[in-house]
Amino acid sequence: MDFEFLGQTFLKLLPGIPVTLELATLSLLLGACLALAFAVIRVRRIRPLNWLVIGYVYVFRGTPLLVQMFIIYYGLAQFPEIRNSFAWTYLREPYWCALLALVLNTAAYGSEILRGALLSVPRGQIMAAQACGMSGFLLFRRISFPIALRQALPAYGNEFILMIKATSLASLVTLADVTGIAARIIAETYRPVEVFVAAGTIYLAISYGLILLVRLAETRLNPDQRDPAPVARVDAARKEVTP
Amino acid sequence: MNQMTPHAQPDPIQPSAVSVRGLRKRYGALEVLKGIDFDARRGEVVSILGSSGSGKSTLLRCINMLEIPEAGTVTVDGTEIALIAQRGGGRQPADARAMDRMRARIGMVFQDFNLWSHKTVLGNVIEAPTHVQKRPRADCITEARALLDKVGIADKADQYPSRLSGGQQQRAAIARALAMNPTVMLFDEPTSALDPELVGEVLRVIRALAEEGRTMLIVTHEVNFARDISDTVVFMNEGVIEESGPPEEVFAAGNNTRLARFIEG
Amino acid sequence: MLDTLTMFGFGPEGWGPAMLRAAANTVAVAAAGFALGGGLGILVAWAKIAGNAPLRWLAAAYTTILRGIPDLLVIYLFYFGSGLLLTPIANMFGVEGFVSFPGFVAGMGAIGVVSGAYHAEVIRGAFYSVKAGELEAATAMGMPRLLKFRRITLPLVARHALPGLGNVWQMVLKESALISVTGLVEIMRQAQIGSSFTRQPFTFYFAAGVLFLTITILSGLIFNRLEHRYSRGRA
Repeated sequence: MDFEFLGQTFLKLLPGIPVTLELATLSLLLGACLALAFAVIRVRRIRPLNWLVIGYVYVFRGTPLLVQMFIIYYGLAQFPEIRNSFAWTYLREPYWCALLALVLNTAAYGSEILRGALLSVPRGQIMAAQACGMSGFLLFRRISFPIALRQALPAYGNEFILMIKATSLASLVTLADVTGIAARIIAETYRPVEVFVAAGTIYLAISYGLILLVRLAETRLNPDQRDPAPVARVDAARKEVTP
Repeated sequence: MNQMTPHAQPDPIQPSAVSVRGLRKRYGALEVLKGIDFDARRGEVVSILGSSGSGKSTLLRCINMLEIPEAGTVTVDGTEIALIAQRGGGRQPADARAMDRMRARIGMVFQDFNLWSHKTVLGNVIEAPTHVQKRPRADCITEARALLDKVGIADKADQYPSRLSGGQQQRAAIARALAMNPTVMLFDEPTSALDPELVGEVLRVIRALAEEGRTMLIVTHEVNFARDISDTVVFMNEGVIEESGPPEEVFAAGNNTRLARFIEG
Repeated sequence: MLDTLTMFGFGPEGWGPAMLRAAANTVAVAAAGFALGGGLGILVAWAKIAGNAPLRWLAAAYTTILRGIPDLLVIYLFYFGSGLLLTPIANMFGVEGFVSFPGFVAGMGAIGVVSGAYHAEVIRGAFYSVKAGELEAATAMGMPRLLKFRRITLPLVARHALPGLGNVWQMVLKESALISVTGLVEIMRQAQIGSSFTRQPFTFYFAAGVLFLTITILSGLIFNRLEHRYSRGRA
């Protein structure tokens, strides 16, 4: 392996990192908000929105993200009505199209995670809150949601990693994220191995940083499980680093 | 023509069904078996009693080498399983196939049945006869149905184990072990995982087997049952055999306070 | 509306047959990659469960890395990487320019290697959910290792793994859309061709979505049936 070329490639990939990070952060944040709304609609069975959300989740989880992204970026241009509307300012930009596709996609997966978490909140703890005179939004904000959040965190952490990987599809609608730059270098140099190693390292570093953050959040949110085995936790963290 | 009759007397020529010498087994720092010597004659029914942690289950599991002892020998039906030292301590069988052959001649009934959940009751019973002993499938099925009839669950042959009660599952497991036509049957606390009202049906099956003159080693907590059916009762405590003999002697002696305490529960 | 019908019809002008052939390619490349990944997953799961320290380390590195790197990069690696191997050989025989695995092989390899990491996790989880006593009972009956593996361990693990494997399959199916970058004419590539030919990208990508959805629904039904069939006897 040519280490000088590896180093150069690494430097060339750096400008892609902010794009990747921004796409991932924004899509996860916006997607999570949407997902929460969808989850509440599902759990509360708010008709007819309930049915719409079920259909939405089914379609977005049943088709490839690439299809969704291409429909938004290439497909919508087919309609003059859209090309002439104010939305076109955004919909002709690959960045907003990629972001929109990522948000809609993660919202579908995220809503299922949050729905499961909300459904798993023990009935007794809700009744206890009702017995204290809580109800409606107060009960949701103070009791149901915090409990569900702790329940959802491990699965949602998984979704974070998947979304970082998913941002790479933005390169196929011409964005210069890490994968986009990597693909260009490969096409120019025909040296896929070094480029793969350099780009792969960046993605692994991002994923690993995210895992640490999620774990930190889990520790913070679960003080009751924090104290007993700090040593084991360090060991577990070390195990993750080894590759 | 045949002068040989089944007998329960020690025979200098015929080897014991099971013979254990100097058996030691430890888990880490804990020595569970501290040098066990033990014999079971052909046709003998031996009950092994003792509080939990006394090493009685480990002794049973060493006999078919589910646990490999650090020291000592196990001889079943005149054949000793050779163990060789392995790197990093402990021992391993010198010949894995010889060990499998020996295991095929020892029937084992587990505390929690361990029926294979992906096979019907009949499938469980014929599995090893058809695939380990490689006997014709049709014969195995006929024999299996007879065995299931014998343990009283002929009507459950085509059910999956999860549909059966604990007592029925344990009886199926006994049929599964019998299907190999074993020289020795090992019972590892066969009724401990059962609801009290289901214990009786399993004990009845074991008693019937004892009366057939099978060689059986039974680890159990059922003191009265042991007294009734055993030729020999062995009382274990902290990894050694403290008392051993015919039930009337062992239980009558009363000289062992630990045994007395155990019997009283 | 009528236009669309003609366009996807089976007449001389219609794109229907081409789209269906592309769908068959999608299923074929996804299935081949899934099978490859399954084989790899069994080996890696075995390394994780029963391997010595270096093997376990390798297996952990493999699953961690492949689950953290975008599939698109892995596909590029397989497609262009095979070119590194094949181009000099081809040039030796007088073939000019860049030569690589056909898209199908590169795509199958990439999908296999990526899904192998997910397969491994599913299989390992399934192995640990099998009751240890059921395996011990097989040992106690004197079953030799291979017989025990074939008759008892494998079927029990398979039953526990089936739902997880269904998820991996759905994932593989959707990832296969990315193989269009190699030029393999699967659903997405065919939709690209159709849309640039007719200038109706929405129509074609929408049709691609419908095809994918149909395949995921159908395979979901098949996996449900399999689960139902192989979970007989499960409590």
